[in-house]
Formats: sequence, C-alpha cells, structure tokens
Amino acid sequence: MKVNPKLAGLLILLAVMACSAAYMLLSGAAETSELRGYVGGEKIGVLEDEEIGKILARKYHITLDWVKAGSLDMVTADLDGRDFLFPSSQTALEYYEQRHGSPAKSEIVFNTPLVLYTRRPVLEALEAAGMVRERDGCYYMDMERLAAELERGTRWEELGLPQLYGTFAVNTTDPAKSNSGNMFAGLLANVLCGGVADESNVRDVLGRLQTIFENLGYMETSSSDLFDQFLKTGMGAKPLVAGYESQLLEFAVQNPDDWAQLKDEIVMIYPTPTVWSSHVFIALDEKGAAGIDALMDEEVQRLAWEQHGFRTGVAGTAQDAQRFDVPYLAPEVTQVAPMPEYAAMEQIIAALQ
Amino acid sequence: MKKRLRQWAAALCALALGVSLAACSSVEEEAGADGVFDYGGRVTLRILSGSENRELEPILDAFAKEHRINIAMEYQGSLDIMRALQSGATDFDAVWPASSLWLTAGDTDHRVKHAQSVSVTPVVFGIRQSLAEELGFVGREVSVSDILDATREGRLQFCMTSATQSNSGASAYIGFLYALLGNPDVITAEDLASPQLAGQMQALLAGVDRSSGSSDWLKDMFLAGDYDAMVNYECLIISANQTLEERGEETLYVVYPYDGLSLADSPLGFVDGSGDDKEKAFLELQEYLLSDEVQDEIQRTGRRTGYAGVSPENGDVFRADWGVQPDRVLSPIRMPDTDVLFQCLSLYQTQLRKPSLTVYCLDYSGSMSGTGHSQLVDAMAQVLLQENAAQHFLQASENEVNILIPFDGDVRETHTAQGNGEQLEALYSVVENEPVGGGTDMYRAAMEALRQLQQYDLSQYTPAVILLTDGASGGSESAFARAYEAMGADVPVFSIMFGSAEPGQLEALAELTNARVFDGREDLVAAFRSVKGYN
Repeated sequence: MKVNPKLAGLLILLAVMACSAAYMLLSGAAETSELRGYVGGEKIGVLEDEEIGKILARKYHITLDWVKAGSLDMVTADLDGRDFLFPSSQTALEYYEQRHGSPAKSEIVFNTPLVLYTRRPVLEALEAAGMVRERDGCYYMDMERLAAELERGTRWEELGLPQLYGTFAVNTTDPAKSNSGNMFAGLLANVLCGGVADESNVRDVLGRLQTIFENLGYMETSSSDLFDQFLKTGMGAKPLVAGYESQLLEFAVQNPDDWAQLKDEIVMIYPTPTVWSSHVFIALDEKGAAGIDALMDEEVQRLAWEQHGFRTGVAGTAQDAQRFDVPYLAPEVTQVAPMPEYAAMEQIIAALQ
Repeated sequence: MKKRLRQWAAALCALALGVSLAACSSVEEEAGADGVFDYGGRVTLRILSGSENRELEPILDAFAKEHRINIAMEYQGSLDIMRALQSGATDFDAVWPASSLWLTAGDTDHRVKHAQSVSVTPVVFGIRQSLAEELGFVGREVSVSDILDATREGRLQFCMTSATQSNSGASAYIGFLYALLGNPDVITAEDLASPQLAGQMQALLAGVDRSSGSSDWLKDMFLAGDYDAMVNYECLIISANQTLEERGEETLYVVYPYDGLSLADSPLGFVDGSGDDKEKAFLELQEYLLSDEVQDEIQRTGRRTGYAGVSPENGDVFRADWGVQPDRVLSPIRMPDTDVLFQCLSLYQTQLRKPSLTVYCLDYSGSMSGTGHSQLVDAMAQVLLQENAAQHFLQASENEVNILIPFDGDVRETHTAQGNGEQLEALYSVVENEPVGGGTDMYRAAMEALRQLQQYDLSQYTPAVILLTDGASGGSESAFARAYEAMGADVPVFSIMFGSAEPGQLEALAELTNARVFDGREDLVAAFRSVKGYN
C-alpha cells in the first residue's frame, strides 16, 4: 500500500490530538498551572531542585518555567506572557514599581549576604597588605581599603602577585543589569560617601564610581555565570569576584566531589560591612501570586537553606552553619549596612549605564 | 475501567507522538548541518557551534549512539553565532560559541538557559620551534610588543582568523590593541581615535599572511601550506603539532603573550522555546560532557577541563617541549565593554586589517537563467552593498580592491572597483545587468583572475579568488594548474558550489590553492557571506 506522506502526517496529528484530549478528559486531576517568569541565575538551583518541584506540584499545583535574566534587566524585558519576576533585591522591586506600578503581589522569599570569593594565594597577599583580617575563623574585607586600592590603580604585582596581569580589581556583574554588581556598587557608594549613600551625597561620588567600573571593561550580566567562570577559569582570569554567600554553599552541597578538589583553594570573604541580598518574588498577575505561597512553604524554605544556601526566615540560624562543609562560613552575618535607598541607586545605575 | 481507558489513551498518545517525532526529526532538522550523528534517536539537537568543536565530534558521536539522541552540528564563527542569537536563533536548539562574551552579547532577549563552560583554552601564538628560538621566545616571558617588534622587523609573519568573524582573531586583535595603546587598564572609545594607532596597527596586520573565517579551518590551512606561525587556540596548536610530529615535520612552540592573553571558555547553552523534549535531551548531553570521564577525554584533546587543572597523566598532550604550560596561571586581558568592543571590530573591518584584493569569477552561463541568476544577484548584494555588508561586519575597507569577472564558456569583460565607495556600487550594477547565456569554463575565468592579480603587489593585500559555478566545467584544469604554479603566489581559489556544479573539480582547485569549497546549493547568500569572511 502506498501512503501519501502528507496524508499520513495529518492522520498522525489527528490521532495525537484525539488522544491528548481523551487523556486530559479521563485524567481529570486538578490542573497544574505553569507559571512563567524571569529569574536571577543564582536561584536556578532552587527552581531546578526536584524535591522542591515535587512540593510545588503536589501541594500547590504549580510548576515554574523560567528564563534567566539579570535582576534589573528583567524589569525592562518583554513581560508579555510572564507571571512572575524573581530578582535578587528590593532595588529591582522599586525599579519595577516605578516603571510598571504596583505588582499583583510581592514578597521577600530568600536572603543571602553579598560576599567576595578568591583563592588562597590572593587571600594571603590581601592579608599581608592588611586589607583582609581573620576573626573567629572568618575572613573580613576592609571595604575602605579595598575602595582606596581600586581608585589608586594598584597593580597585582605590587600586592606580591606578579603572576597576575594588570591592576587589582574585583570582578562583578554589570551593575546596571544584574543585582550582585549593583549591590557591590551600592556598597562602594556607601564607602565613598562615608555612610549610607543618599540622594544628595551620592552625586559627589558618581564620577569616582564610574572610573572604578569603567576600568573593569566587559562585565558578565549574570551572577551565576560569573561564579561559574570564577571556579572554572582559574585564579588568573578571576582573582577576586563579588557574589552571594549562597552560591558557594550550594556548590559545596550539590557537587561534593568537585568541592573536595577546590575546598583548600577557594576562600569566602565577608565585606565589612556587607549588604543583604533580598530575593523578592514579584507576582505580575494572580496566577503568579500562587508562587509566593509555594516558595514560602516551610519545607521549601528548609530545602532552600540546606541544599542551596539561602538564609530564610525559618532556617539558616547560627547553629545551623556547621551543616555545610565550607570553611570560613560565618554562623551569623552581623556587620550589615542598608543598601542606599532607591533614589540614590537610580542615580548610580544611570551613571554606570 | 476508567483507569484502563486512560492507560490505553496514554499508550496510544506515546506511540503516535513517537512516530510523528521520528518522522520529522532526522529528515528536516538535520538538513544543511555540517556534522550529523544520527542513530535513529528519539530527538535531534541542532547545535550552532564554533568550528573548534569539530575536534569533539567523536565524543558527540559516542553520546548520540549511547543515548539515542541525534546531534546535528552546524559550525559558524562566534560572531555569527552572536548575530544568530540576536535575530532569534530559531533554527537551533543550542549554541556553543568559543567564548561566553559572544553569548552574552547576542542573548539580548534572554533565551539562553543552562549555559555552562565545557572547557577552557587560551588564545596563543604557535611559532615554528626554530624560529621561536631564533627570536628568543623560548623559555622566557614574551609580551605582545616583543611579537610586534619581530613582525615589524619582518622576521615573523603569521596566520590569524578574521577579527570580525572569529573569536580567536578578535581576541588576538584586542590583545594587539592593548599593546599598541601602551597597556591601559581598559580600552576606551577615545583611545581608538588616536592617530598613531591606525598606522601602527596597519603595519602590524600587514604581517598577517593568511586569514580565515574559522579557527579550525585556519589550522587545516596551516597544515596544508608552508607558514611560520599562527594565532589560534592552545588546543588547536596542540592538535596541529600532533599532526606535524606524525609527519616528521617541525612542530610549533606555544607562546603565551603575558599582556595580551584571552581565554575561550566554550559555553554550551540551551535556546529556550525548543520544547521540553529538547530541553531534557540537552541536559542529558550537557551532563555527559561535564561528567568526569568525558571531561578527561576532552582534556586529552588539549582543552583545559575540570577544577583541579590539567592532570599529570595528560602531560603527553600538554607537552612542555612544545612550550605548553599546563600549570601556568592564565591571567587574561580585560575585554572592553560591548560598545567599545564593537567599535574596535568596525575599525578593524573598515580601516586596519590588511586590505583584501578579491576577484569574483561569476558564472553567467545559460543554466544560470531564472532563479540561479536572481539568487546570485541577492548574494552579491549582501557583500557588495555596504549597508548589507555592515550587518555582518563584512564591509569593504578604503584600500581594498574588488574585481569582477563574469564568465560563460569564455571570459567576458573585467570590471575593477577601488575602495568602498561608488565604484563598488557600480560593480553591483554590473552583477545585476550582465546577461545570462553560453557554456561554462571556470578555468579560463580563474586564469584571467590570476592575470589580474599579477598587476598588484600581493604582499600589500590579502588576495583571494572567489569562484561561483553551477555546472560541470569545460576547459583545462592542467592549464590553470600550470599558470598557478608559474605565478608562485599563495592565493586561495575559494569556490561556491551551485546548481549542478561538479564537486570533484572544485575540490581539486581548493586542494591546489589551499582553499576550500563552500556549498551554496542550500543557501547561496550564506555561502557568499562565509567565503567573504575568509578574506
């Protein structure tokens, strides 16, 4: 028998359609709705977590479909057909409110402090230079010294690291697009202003901030890409980067074999003061609002800490830090400054665009 | 009862879906790909990749076989991949450029997810061992300026890919810019306006003896020719050395310019919107490539993988006697921000690169009439009309020369255009208005091209012949070969296969002239763009 291929294709298509209709009719279960949105790369591990996915589907009947985008970038992205944004800061929320008005709902779901990552030879050099100090088994960066060395254009060589080419720098993501870079810029603005930067005093330091960031050249737009490159391209490419505490905790839990190879080499440093990154879930519509309840689920919050390193309301307390096989992890993050208010951040973003 | 029915329906669905997927996957999706690994898998991943990954094909083949997932690889320069992403990349399920720089710059719509670096390799100079010794580059730190000095003194010539088409060429070029600008922290737009810079860079790029649109082909070309040095990925220099050693020829010494080094981090990312099946298949492939075992296999190809650095057992690949330094701290230069980077590339294309001297031999024989002719006109519009060319960084520069030789059984008139202005536009009018008719003799046209080229001082140009033909050619190949040998210049005759051209004839030309054949049968416009990227 000779079958016209076009006809055969059509028949198959009809069969598929009929079957799917029959299946949906017969299964009749509560429909799981798919929420679509943009998410900051550092939280992808949470959204891909199978156990969390099961809780979301079983208890809340939702699945999340996402595309990675920088926290600020996602606010200006095409929001058509999206139910949520999941950026990493209040700044992004305020940015959203300014552009689009109040969202259907929003809530801070996870927290994690901004930290610096480096490798042991660099740590030793920074310690010798008096920029980094050890206290109670954790390392702390003197942010004033760091800002001063960035502005001075100190060469790595002068810090005793001739194997590194060029000037001392902290690699960050693009502060106009992504949150970790944006928060680092906020932190630097605080240091340069000698207190929390506000709408009026930030103007005087914009030029200095611009110079610091211009000297970095090309910047990644995603915190997770930057962290991945930090781990993979070695000490020469990214000697010192800004990131989230959660990133290393998650990596250590999820990749124990790789971590075993890196553990003696990688060091986490807390800036003094540091700032909290508040991962806020912005529901763009009613459908998206279901995502907040689901992620605030106690079990989800516990998994977010234990498996992905996010400090949450119910977990991530002082006693709990020992569960991670990560040296120099601070049980509690105490020296924290507030981020500059949005009006000041707006000026910073505009200057660094 | 209801449950039974449901199971039945589900089974039927799966069956029907399976059939329909199998029906469309292999046939349509693999069309036009450069490398296809099809063991009748349930799904096909179409990957747009940098050509350097061609060397990983055995690994992809093994995956396709074991996991029943078909792979169709299409190779393009990293900059083309960036542009494909910018315009949606709808024909592909995944992208795999040489560096995340291009992925980030291209993915303005945030469609790429799961991107992860598969391996890392630096862009380095590979210089013939004895020449490297003579230049004093062995066993010491070498700066870009040291290399530039040797080039200016005429002691070193090298091959590199086009900076506007390929990541390795772009990386090297940015390294040169830093050196000529006196190593600033980062290149700025003001720096590029410096009047001395243009002259110095032109002098430097005059030392480029052959160019290419892709890194992998640059290596092949290098191995087929007689050259002293090339700028390429460390892994491809290692691979070239393996071939050179097998042949008993002199190997290349790897030089890492400490103030001009770049890293290619080879990110493999999924293009969202390709569907759940594809996404699952993609993650399976990625997990496979990042598994310890395969990472070691990839490391055996000269790429740096894993977190612990190059394993001592692979010292026979990363050979110290070739100058390879597996333990070196690779400290790269800072890439300028995207705006400045694109200014750098424009400047390269329109002013700084060695001017090209291109002879187009175009077939106007009778068989070209109709769609053949209109496709040819469309394709030439992409390379000759500057507005179009600019979209792909293929603009002509001020000093370049384009020559048009329409042919049939005989050579018709010859038309020459100087520079990138009116004369070039006029050339396009000729392409449009030239009538179609007569037989086909590409050898005569190619010989006329050689005669035209001999009127120029070829050392001042990147010369090439681009030949399009749509039918088996009459005439004499041996007459052309004699003329070519007599001229004694290194001029590639690139050809574009069209209509019912004879592949064997074109391959022979490519082999004789160390060039390559581009297939224009699927997409003539794309073929012209690719070939132009080679010169």
